[in-house]
Order: sequence, then C-alpha cells, then structure tokens
Amino acid sequence: MKFKAFLTENGVNLLEKRFIPSLEKTAKTCHLYFTKTHTLFLHNLLNGDGIQSIAQFTKQVLFDDYRISSQNDDRIAFTIDLSLLLRALRSSVAICNEYSSSAVPNRLQIKLVKKLPSNCSVPTPFLTFETRGFKSAVIQDIPISKPLSRAQVVELQSALDMAQDVPPTLIQVPDLNQLLNLVDRMKHVGDAVNVSISKYGDLTVQVSTTLISLGAEFRKLLVIGDQANAPSEDQNLSAQTRSSRSILRGDAQSVQVSVKHFAKSLQYHLAKPDCAFYGIAPQGSCLTMIFQFFVPGSRETDKSISLHCRLPVLDPGTG
Amino acid sequence: MSGMEEEAPDVLCQLENVQGLVDALTAVRWKRHQDAVLELSEHGIVLIVEESGCLQAKVYLKKEIFIRYDYNAEGRPRFGVSLGLFVDCLNAFSVPGHSSLIQIWYPGPDMQVLLKSVDSLDASICAEIRTRIPDTSAWDYNFEPAGTNPLTFTVKSAALKEAIEDLEWPGSSIQITMEPDPPSVTLRAEGHGDLQIDFIYCVNSDLLVAFQCDHRVSFKYKYKFLRASTSNMPSSVTKENRGSKLSIGRGGMLKVQHLVSISKPSASHSHVDSAGYQQPSRIAHIEFFVKPEESED
Repeated sequence: MKFKAFLTENGVNLLEKRFIPSLEKTAKTCHLYFTKTHTLFLHNLLNGDGIQSIAQFTKQVLFDDYRISSQNDDRIAFTIDLSLLLRALRSSVAICNEYSSSAVPNRLQIKLVKKLPSNCSVPTPFLTFETRGFKSAVIQDIPISKPLSRAQVVELQSALDMAQDVPPTLIQVPDLNQLLNLVDRMKHVGDAVNVSISKYGDLTVQVSTTLISLGAEFRKLLVIGDQANAPSEDQNLSAQTRSSRSILRGDAQSVQVSVKHFAKSLQYHLAKPDCAFYGIAPQGSCLTMIFQFFVPGSRETDKSISLHCRLPVLDPGTG
Repeated sequence: MSGMEEEAPDVLCQLENVQGLVDALTAVRWKRHQDAVLELSEHGIVLIVEESGCLQAKVYLKKEIFIRYDYNAEGRPRFGVSLGLFVDCLNAFSVPGHSSLIQIWYPGPDMQVLLKSVDSLDASICAEIRTRIPDTSAWDYNFEPAGTNPLTFTVKSAALKEAIEDLEWPGSSIQITMEPDPPSVTLRAEGHGDLQIDFIYCVNSDLLVAFQCDHRVSFKYKYKFLRASTSNMPSSVTKENRGSKLSIGRGGMLKVQHLVSISKPSASHSHVDSAGYQQPSRIAHIEFFVKPEESED
C-alpha cells in the first residue's frame, strides 16, 4: 500500500482556506479516501446517525505527481482528525511562504508512512507532510487510523454509491448567511425543524413547540427537476396554510430534521460554494443539500469539485 | 369564525428596529425562565416581570416607538408570555447590519401573539407565541415619595453597573445611603469583608449628574435584586453615555430607571447627526422597583 503526491497550490488553497474549515464543523474526524482518480472526504457514511457529507475532488485539482497503489484496486481509506490535518497544512503553508523567495520552488509532499513511535513497539500509520526549504526540510506526521480493510473499503464505496441519488425537486437556496443567522437563533427555540420544499420554488423552515412556532418562508426560488406553477388561489394565504395545501396536493414534501444538524450543514458556506440547492429524497428519507462550484471567473459548473450532504430525518413526515 | 378574523385585533403594531426591542427586553431578563405580563393600552405596551415579591421591572414601549400602532381594544388587555421565548423569538427577526421591519399582532385566532417580518414578499419570517392568562396579581410596588421633596439621584449608567458589580464579593446585602451634607451617595456591602463606594456630588464631576436629598436616608437591599437591575443593561446604554435615575420612596422602596434607545441604527438614519442625536421619542423606559430588606431609618 503506497501513496505519495505533491499538493498543488490550488489544492492547498481549497483545503486550507475553504474545505477543511467547513468540514471540521460537521465532525472532528472523517474518512479520507483516495482512489486512482479522486480524493474524497467522507463524514458518517458507515454509521447511520449524523450528517453524511461527501466532498470529492479529482486528483488533478489537489495534486500533481500522484502515485497510489494498493492491493484493493488502488484504493486507500482511513480515518483522520481534521483539526490536526488543518494545523499541519497551515504550518506547512507558513513554512512554504517563508522560503518562497528562494530559487527552488517549494513543494508540499504528502505520503502515507508507517513509523515506530518511541514509546511503542508496533509501527503506526501516519500521513506525512514534507516541506523542503532551501536548506532544511520540515516533516509533520499526522496520526491516522489503520487503513480500512478490503471489506471496509468495499462497504464505504457502496455507501458512497448509495448516497449519490439526487432528489426529484431541487430548489436554489438564497443567502446562506442569512439562513444561518436565522437557524442559529432557532436553536434557542426548539430542537427539531420542519423543512418543506415545493415544486413551486417555496422553501419553509419552521420550529414548533407547544409554546411557540417560528418559521421562515422563501418563495419564488429557482427550481431544478420536477416543478409546477403555484396555484393563484394560494397567493394570499399564510405561509403555513400554503405549505400544508401544497403538501396535500402532492406538490411539496416536508421532513423534520435536527436544528443542530441543519445549523451545521449551513457551515458549508465556509467552503464558499457558488450556489446551494436543497431537496428532499423520495419517501422523505433525508434532506439533501448540494453545493455547486463554478470554474473561477465563469458561471460554468466546476466538475472537478463536488460537495453534498444528507441530513438524517427525525420524523419521516409527509411524503 | 370568518367574521372574527375580519375584526381588527386589539393591537397591531410595526417596528423598525427589532434589535432595540430585544435590548430593552433583555435588560429585564435576569434569569432563564421568567414569566412576563404584557399590558396593552392606547398609549403603548408595558411589559412587567416580577420576582419573589421583592423585585419588579417594567419596560414601557410607548406607541411613539412604533412606526405604526393601531389599538382597538376596550379596557386594557393583559396576557402572559415566557420572556425568554419572546426575546429569543424576536432575536430571530433581527438580521445584523440590516434594518428589519416587523409586525406584531395580538390576539391571533388562538390568543397567540403573532409576529411577522414585512420587508420582502419573497422571504418572510413568522412566529406565533402561545400566551396564558396572567395571575390576578396583587403586587404591591406603589412608589410614593418619602416626603415633600423627592429623594433622587442620577448617575452614569456605566458607573452604576460597575459599582454594583464591584460590590459582589462582600455579597448578601447592599446599604444605600443618601446624605445632603456633603451631598453624596454611598453604596456599602458587608459580608466576607466590607466595601464602600461613594459617589460625591460636586459641580465639576459628571459622575453624579443630578442629586436631590433634604435629609439622610439609608436602606438595605438584597444584592441579587440590585444586581438584576443593572446586570443585563444593553451595551447601547453605556455607549450612548446615558444616566440612570435612582429614587428612594416611602418605606425605602427603590426605583431604578434606565433609558434604552430603540431608534434605527444610526448608519441608516439620515436624521441622526454626528453627535448621535436621536429622536427622543424612540426611547424605551425601563423601571425596576426593589423593596428594602429592613427599614433602618
């Protein structure tokens, strides 16, 4: 099992400034999964509870001189602590910047190694960052889990394949920051939030308890997939009535998710997506959030980066 | 039922600066779970909270604070809400760096308070808060002057808050003494140790802004009640360098008054000059009444 690659400048920027800070908010550790073509950061794919999140990069975005080999179809996966990864990345960047005036361009190499720690008799695996300066080299070892067995990798890959389905109706969410602000305050009011999405482009988010209900409604959002025109007789109704009527008509779906999960998922705006889409999977099995990235300076989707997450549902709600 | 819906509600009001209202109500939120009573009238809304028969606080939201205030009730409707939920809920309407217009409406079809943001048609926030019937309270916080002349002083709110915070370590109770000669106010705590803070009234000092006292008075108040009167003072009060007025009434009843600005954030307001002048009407008055521990006078 071998893995060795050089991080590109763009790759360092993406990971250090955008993706790892946002992924870290979901959970401290995640699976890092390398294949022949892609690198993936996966949250909660093998255990059912918690937010599942999948961040995928083609190898060219993050690395050059990418070498991977394993007896398992050249796939390697392990668990890594994201805060340690971020720290190592940050200090490597600082070292690179310090020496960047030298004639030799600095390159940041990462590789998988096994080392024998001083107080231990069994070699343990590390992900090593190596920065070569003009006169010195700095090496940082991040402890990782034992690489996943063949069976576990197969299980991870099949969980990944299962998590790829796209909801029939997706709506484009407006300002994520504003929504985050609102949901942060909803946390004080209740634990569960009802999210309903209609084919007309309506999104309602509501927390209800016996004493209070607090909700927000966004209308006329861009719809992708199954869509319909909002019936004109619904225009002047209250948000709640409109939402329940569209559910009855089969034009909307509603699920209940944890407010905490919902707030965490909004932290993905730290990854600076260019747009975000929400949808509810068939039978209300989960709330899916898909983040889209554009090729810099264009409005074209960057196919080399993808990020989506799935929020587990507390109550299947209404189909 | 449909006929009822057409009827005008007791109160329908609109407010521009939700954050100001949140600040004013937070000032009387001294613990996590507090029940508040709201009293509606043609003059505005009064929110009242009470504790242990010793402390009462009132927030006066005059109708001038609102950009629209429609009052249609007869008598003075009263209802109870959880202050914590009410504040948390209002908070959701407050978007940083954004002046948000909200509408408050009472009663809803199920006697709820209804709140709604009315900035934009395509994005709105709504809330419903369940109300309860308030206890028929027999609170006795009638503040009457102690004599012919009032006993009162006005101190910078920031200084008052700091003084009360400093008096925490001796603990238990605080003795407030007003003395006409030399004109001064003394706050003294005795417990694990003694600490005394004197406010001297003199011409050049801007600490004690006003002072009126014709005979010596001295009363003891429970520390926790005194602290409640300043602990959640909104930061805008100290930023705007406001003063708090304290008066001692008959039997030692202490009245503490603060002013909290509810006008729009000045950046978006053309009427506010550089000195920070704001329309005086957009001010919420907050009053605390603290009963003394025992009379010594």
